[in-house]
Amino acid sequence: MDQIVLDNISRDYRVGSTSIAAVKNASLAIGKGAFVSIVGHSGSGKTTLLSLIGGMMTPSSGRVLFNGTDITTWNSDLLSEYRCERIGFMFQSASLLPILTAKENLLLPVAFRTNHPADDGHARRAEELLHAVGLSDKVNAYPAHLSGGQQRRVAIARSFMNNPELILADEPTGDLDEETENEMMQFFLRMNQEHGTTFIMVTHNSDLARQTQKHYRMDRGVISAI
Amino acid sequence: MPTLFSFAFKNIKRKPLRTGILMFAIALLASALVFSLSFVQRVNGSIRKSSERLGADLLVVPTNARSAAEEVLLENKIKSFYMDRTLLDRLRAVKGVDRVTEQIYLVTMSTMCCSVPEALVVAFNQDTDFIIKPWLREKLARPLVRGEAVAGDESSFNIRLGLVEVDSMLFGNVFRIVSTLDKTGTGLDNAVFIGMENMEAIYASGKAKNVPPGKVSVAFVKVKPGVDPAAVAMEIENTIIEVDAMARKDIGKNIIATLKDMSRIFTMTIVLAAVMAFFLVWAIFTAIANERAKEVGIMRALGAKERHIFRIFLIEVLVIGIAGSLLGIAAGTGLSAIFAKTFSIVKQLSTELSLLDRSVIAVISFAGGTSICLLGALGPIQRLKKMEPLMVIKAE
Repeated sequence: MDQIVLDNISRDYRVGSTSIAAVKNASLAIGKGAFVSIVGHSGSGKTTLLSLIGGMMTPSSGRVLFNGTDITTWNSDLLSEYRCERIGFMFQSASLLPILTAKENLLLPVAFRTNHPADDGHARRAEELLHAVGLSDKVNAYPAHLSGGQQRRVAIARSFMNNPELILADEPTGDLDEETENEMMQFFLRMNQEHGTTFIMVTHNSDLARQTQKHYRMDRGVISAI
Repeated sequence: MPTLFSFAFKNIKRKPLRTGILMFAIALLASALVFSLSFVQRVNGSIRKSSERLGADLLVVPTNARSAAEEVLLENKIKSFYMDRTLLDRLRAVKGVDRVTEQIYLVTMSTMCCSVPEALVVAFNQDTDFIIKPWLREKLARPLVRGEAVAGDESSFNIRLGLVEVDSMLFGNVFRIVSTLDKTGTGLDNAVFIGMENMEAIYASGKAKNVPPGKVSVAFVKVKPGVDPAAVAMEIENTIIEVDAMARKDIGKNIIATLKDMSRIFTMTIVLAAVMAFFLVWAIFTAIANERAKEVGIMRALGAKERHIFRIFLIEVLVIGIAGSLLGIAAGTGLSAIFAKTFSIVKQLSTELSLLDRSVIAVISFAGGTSICLLGALGPIQRLKKMEPLMVIKAE
């Protein structure tokens, strides 16, 4: 069974009296453990598509199936649990909470889990993830004391904190230099191969896209395989 | 791991000035509540007690002694005035009069052990009395015998220091103070009460030369059931031109009205303070909501439910509300204590607040301060918890 199925979904925005279609009749099936990339111009609907898959917005029409269940019928709490426990998000910017340290930012999603175990394994996992993205020495640093690239890497580490089945990455390496970008890509590929984590990655970088298993292009809300 | 509590506390510490302003506003409201409720409670208690304390429908004094009598009863002033004892029988004969009892006001006393400020000594008729005896029954379950006295609340100051059963020299006679009365808020708090049967010895001692035998200072009248005291007062004044008669409700009317007006002003001040605090909290939390919209969006995207967001902000609001209210209760209590010692209008009030009164006032003020904080913040928090997580991504 495919992990993600988009069944003819559309999403319209209203701007005044005008209706703008951000995503038009998109249909897509992504198997568990796949690593796909989506490329396209700015405003082509890539972020909206990720948001629909991530349960952060509902489609105007069509269905989004996760492991065979239509998430568009879920209520707010179920969608929150889905985002918390099944999905890992990497936003276009680091999006860290400024009053929390790097480690605390990683631990925050754990606090939102419905049944989070009370053991101290989370702290260790957070430190391991920070080590994996090369920030062992910044565990207790606040975002204000980190560079843009370091903040981005903390956000990348955070997305893996709850052992998600699916990573939705929206230009995850945008702030990184070439070397770090490659390191992060290798980290993603390793997580994909070792843990079977599914990746849907939006990127402008064709080199990164080439390293993924399957490529899609979005153009004016329409998705097509490359 | 950050918990919702620790996260909320970090947010509180984030902007100390803003948190301080919010706490100050709530503290101000709570202290106004404590202060006003204490005052209102004391005024109400005082009016009720004064009325109970007088226990008579009418007060009859010598003509032109009305002001002096009010000064004695309400302003702690020591005055003496006298009218002929034979007037009592004429009073009893007035239509509508049920019972009459008399008192004699004598000035000054001294103790055998130490000096005591000048005080009013009141001789009362234990056979006809319905003013003092009810209080004696509560505090001393027997009539006073010759050579015994009871002290008013203020006069019992020495007794409170431990000099119970103190012997006092009074007009050449030794009196033993055997009990005290509750504070009445009247000038009688500064008095010492003795039975009328002691007057013979006092006259004989020649130490009370200003008190002519056969005279009384005041007569208290109870009217028959269903009779209008004002009508009886008018009848007394028409029948006996040597006296003035005042209905109980008219005694200290102006002071009571002033105190009631002050209570109303306090109530209005509290309402205004509550409205101001509400809008301040609302405005600040609206600003906080706008400021943290992105963070809330991040948390929602990371899996926070609406109730997680609500709890985080609720904890913030409650901490600010509770801390502000507690500060306010402490400040209000302190302010009330200072005010009670400094302002004569409060010093005259008879009723001290009991521990229960103080606790109830503290609880009301606490609930008032905290709930205004909560109500003010509720709107912005509700709006915030509904924040769409997508906003974070789109806002970038």
